[in-house]
Amino acid sequence: MNEVPELLKPDLYARTPDGLGLSGGKCVKCGYVFFPFQQRGCEKCGAHGEDISAYELGAGGKLVSAATVHLHAGKNRTAPFVIGVIELDSGPRVRTLLVEMPDAEQRLGEMVEAVLVEAKNKDGDPVQDLRFKPVGRAL
Amino acid sequence: MVRVLSDLRPVYVIGVGWHPYQYASETSYVELGLKACRQALDDAGLQFQCIDEAFVGTACLGMAAGRNIFKHMGATGLPLMHIENASASGSTAFRTACINVAAGLSDSALVLGVDKREHPYRANPGIPNLAEDAIVPFTHFALLSNQYTTKHGVSPEDVARVAVKNHKNGSLNQNAQRQKERSLDEVLGGKAISGVFTSLQCCPVGEGAAAVVVVSEDTLKAYNLDPAKAVRVLSSSAASEAPQSSDAALTKATIEKALLDAKISAQELDVMEFHDAFTIEELLYAEASGICNEGQAIHMLKEGAFDIGGQVAISTSGGLIACGHPIGPTGVGQIGEIALQLRGEAGARQHKGPRGMPRYGLAHMVGLGSVCYAHVLRMD
Repeated sequence: MNEVPELLKPDLYARTPDGLGLSGGKCVKCGYVFFPFQQRGCEKCGAHGEDISAYELGAGGKLVSAATVHLHAGKNRTAPFVIGVIELDSGPRVRTLLVEMPDAEQRLGEMVEAVLVEAKNKDGDPVQDLRFKPVGRAL
Repeated sequence: MVRVLSDLRPVYVIGVGWHPYQYASETSYVELGLKACRQALDDAGLQFQCIDEAFVGTACLGMAAGRNIFKHMGATGLPLMHIENASASGSTAFRTACINVAAGLSDSALVLGVDKREHPYRANPGIPNLAEDAIVPFTHFALLSNQYTTKHGVSPEDVARVAVKNHKNGSLNQNAQRQKERSLDEVLGGKAISGVFTSLQCCPVGEGAAAVVVVSEDTLKAYNLDPAKAVRVLSSSAASEAPQSSDAALTKATIEKALLDAKISAQELDVMEFHDAFTIEELLYAEASGICNEGQAIHMLKEGAFDIGGQVAISTSGGLIACGHPIGPTGVGQIGEIALQLRGEAGARQHKGPRGMPRYGLAHMVGLGSVCYAHVLRMD
């Protein structure tokens, strides 16, 4: 039996029966939906602790903007890579890495979805991490 | 009832000074600060011994850095406060000085912005994120640029024209870090950074200092200071981020309040200094200021409306893109530039628009996309 690889950031996303979901929060007091999950306090009304519940945000959204980064000082990743802002179907906006997508800046408004790709953790061990890719496109 | 600055007694900028902004060097921050302070005091016609209190805007130097500067000016034991507020550190120091003088808590204040890029540090909130390490400021603004150009059908080449204008302004400013005029081809042909940004569309973060002297009417009279040099501070406005708010929305709220408190409309402004760390910001903030509608700034820019001599001159100093963005000094230097323009002392880069010599100026800074400051100044 094949072992399921560990997730690089299990606090932020999880495998679901449908595939993958981002782990957000919802304020019980005001209904504000956000990412990532935390119970320190609602950014909208200040409710905290038990007044904030975990809320699965799904994996689908729309590409709001994109940028190919050509220069990066950090040693943990190598440019070029593509960053996108995604408005999730569930509401919140997130920004993170897209799969290799050199024409991303010309594709605003298109539907995208979160998928797991192979990555390495800080010890160099194989793990899976989240990227967004165009809906319907194979990895 | 809450009061605004114009409800209190009048407060004036009377002296301005700089140590030129420059690339990192061996020069001590103490030398940078001393040069700017002494120049501002000389310009004001005041001795350091006449100053009631001092405020230092600095984001990178470390604890109570200003003491090492003021002790070489004949220490008087004056109250000394250090203010860190990211890119808006200098603007915040200026606001605090204005409020104290206007409220009558003091009669004169020296405001210094000084920094070297020694210990840039951001507090870690301890909440995990997807890939924030991959999204530095130039990418944050490249994303906004992509969104803006797509929404308004603007070409990336046109956005780069902001840099052409500001490099030209910077070439006329002896305190600017970049003093070279650049063609559109040079700007576009530079090193690719992020999205459509090339290096000449991004501000250099180096070192330097800027200082202004702020006084009450009593001080103007008591020391017989030159009234032609006194520029009135009409309003000071500050705000911070709301959930999922943008840099432009935060700017709009802050500038609206500054104009309301100053009792003028955006159309009355003659000169403006924006937080144009990246080209797209000038367009976003010009629209947020109310001088034109959304999507229109690019047309005004191309028509020359933002040039020196145009309808409203934007970033006559060269802005952050050409003058530079040494962090602490930037917001103080903006006030200095507006004061020079309103006095008619800006030399080769003096603005004179269709209405004649400039009367109203606005300075605007954003810090880490989360705090925003705006000041309106007037030549009486």
